[in-house]
Amino acid sequence: MNAQLNLWLAQLLATDAPALPTALAMQIWLHLGWSVVLASMGAGVVSRYWPGTAGRLELRHWGTALVLALWTWVPGPYSPAYWLGLVFQAPSIVAVLLCDGLLRKRFLASRSAPAAVHEPNRFRLSLALAGVLVGWALLLDTFALLPMQLYAWGFSPVAVALVVFGALLPWLAGRSPRHSRWWMLPVALLVFVAVRLPSGNVWDAVLDPCLWLALHGYLLRAVWRHYTTRSVG
Amino acid sequence: MSLVSQSVRSVIWRLLLALLGVGALLALEVWQRPERPCPANAVWSGPAAPPDLATLRVVDRGPIPMPAGMAAAHASSLLAMPAGHAAALTVFWFSGDRESGPNVQIAASQYLRATHQWSPARFVVNRFVAGPQLGFGIRRLGNPVAWLDGQGRIHVFVVATGGGGWAASRVLHLRQSSTGNGLEDLAFEPVRVLPLSWMWNTSFLVRNAPLPLADGGMVLPVHFELGIKYPAALRFDRNGDFKGMVRISQRPFLLQPSLVMQSPTQWLALMRDERPQGKIGVAHTADGGAHWSDLPDLALDNPDASVAGLGLGPGQMLLTHNPSNTSRGTLDLSQSVDGRTWRTVQTLEHGAPQDEFSYPALLWLDGSLWVSYTVERERLAWQRLAPVAATTKGQP
Repeated sequence: MNAQLNLWLAQLLATDAPALPTALAMQIWLHLGWSVVLASMGAGVVSRYWPGTAGRLELRHWGTALVLALWTWVPGPYSPAYWLGLVFQAPSIVAVLLCDGLLRKRFLASRSAPAAVHEPNRFRLSLALAGVLVGWALLLDTFALLPMQLYAWGFSPVAVALVVFGALLPWLAGRSPRHSRWWMLPVALLVFVAVRLPSGNVWDAVLDPCLWLALHGYLLRAVWRHYTTRSVG
Repeated sequence: MSLVSQSVRSVIWRLLLALLGVGALLALEVWQRPERPCPANAVWSGPAAPPDLATLRVVDRGPIPMPAGMAAAHASSLLAMPAGHAAALTVFWFSGDRESGPNVQIAASQYLRATHQWSPARFVVNRFVAGPQLGFGIRRLGNPVAWLDGQGRIHVFVVATGGGGWAASRVLHLRQSSTGNGLEDLAFEPVRVLPLSWMWNTSFLVRNAPLPLADGGMVLPVHFELGIKYPAALRFDRNGDFKGMVRISQRPFLLQPSLVMQSPTQWLALMRDERPQGKIGVAHTADGGAHWSDLPDLALDNPDASVAGLGLGPGQMLLTHNPSNTSRGTLDLSQSVDGRTWRTVQTLEHGAPQDEFSYPALLWLDGSLWVSYTVERERLAWQRLAPVAATTKGQP
């Protein structure tokens, strides 16, 4: 019984039997992921500098998003995914879901009413802070400055289970406000378990270095706003 | 009171649901994973009855043919071909106008059993072909390392840079896509960039030969080199599927490990030292690479240059290295019984201090030791050494 339990535990902790995605799946994800990220960023930039009429879905907004998304699917060096992949590899599932959420919010809101601006709240800031801290730990691990191999641990089943459990904590505590998109992390993990993208490692699925840098920006902006508001008050 | 109990009940229900969900995911995770590899047992590279290494003498030597018009060549990797193949061995290296040049490709040549000659070199990996196959670009190509899997297919692990120089390198895994592995037919397709770090897999490089395992798999030594250095060992199964990574050393100046077998589960990693006045670094594992520990440096100087080691049998280890702190102008072959004390068997090359004979590769095949190395970063040379008693010129 003990031997069987030990075997089961070893299986859960094992980092030497990773399930990796196929070459085809990785290539599809590279194009899909960057097409969503670029469409969201393009639409964001255009609507910031050419906002258009409130409540109307402007051609230049969805046109930009559509053109960028389609351009990403061009094969070979004519695709932005080819060059983005060269430097940044593929985006994480969470980054793609966040960009998809932003894109849909922008378009759905522009059909009905001006998009509601959700100021950073404590819940979102906590999630961003957790992402920033995990990213720092992974960066230190990249330089072998941690006593354990954190990235390699992301190939084990138990890492996936713990990250899923952590992602469900806001829901467990009943502290998942509406519009917070707290469900993105569990959904990203479900997608990861099903298709192993982008690399077979759970850390690559939930956080990529670009998203990590963006979270720094989000937190710094919140801190800046907090202090400037206080000093004005 | 009822509100509180309702809230507690809600939390308990959520907790139960969460645990069920996590449990189901965990079961799915375990179910879809491949079988875990058995503990690693290395196999000897040499003959069943290893010869007296002190009697090794050079019996043949020469240049390896270069691709036409290419001014630079570096980082050779030797691969023994299966018995019965027309070629005894294949050598892979990178070649182009200059190191890190845009036209650098992976070249190969085969030593033919019938003619005892190297075939004309041919490019077998091109970044302009591999990039679109992967879906993303490759900026430059560098060191290749070749391996023959359990199904007789050749795998090549190549340094492929992303946005930057060598520090932005990744390890690209390619697998033979052609039916035959004669040089004329040889073609490769990318498997993946190896998932080695969270930071875009950046700054991992491959250089030295893998250590073959009894299960048909192998352990591939690699290193990280962005700012600080550290060596690591990657495990692959007999099909060439990646199985995980273990760091070899905590010392931030050791790179390019060469794995030398002392017994099936006891191995040494002999490493290049980037410090001035460096010595060859050593780490040791006693459990087939599951855990490593640092050992004191060898007494051998190292001019921040790659070394190549080989375990032929119990107490029979060979090492090719530049025996100087400052120069790659001399290339020695040394032997050891315990991995700590090394004795020079042969000086393979002896030039002026500014000369370069570097990046050696070793292979034991058909009763001979084969050595290939870079000369002045312009071309490759090879030597075959055999025990003097069994010397027969030209017979591989």
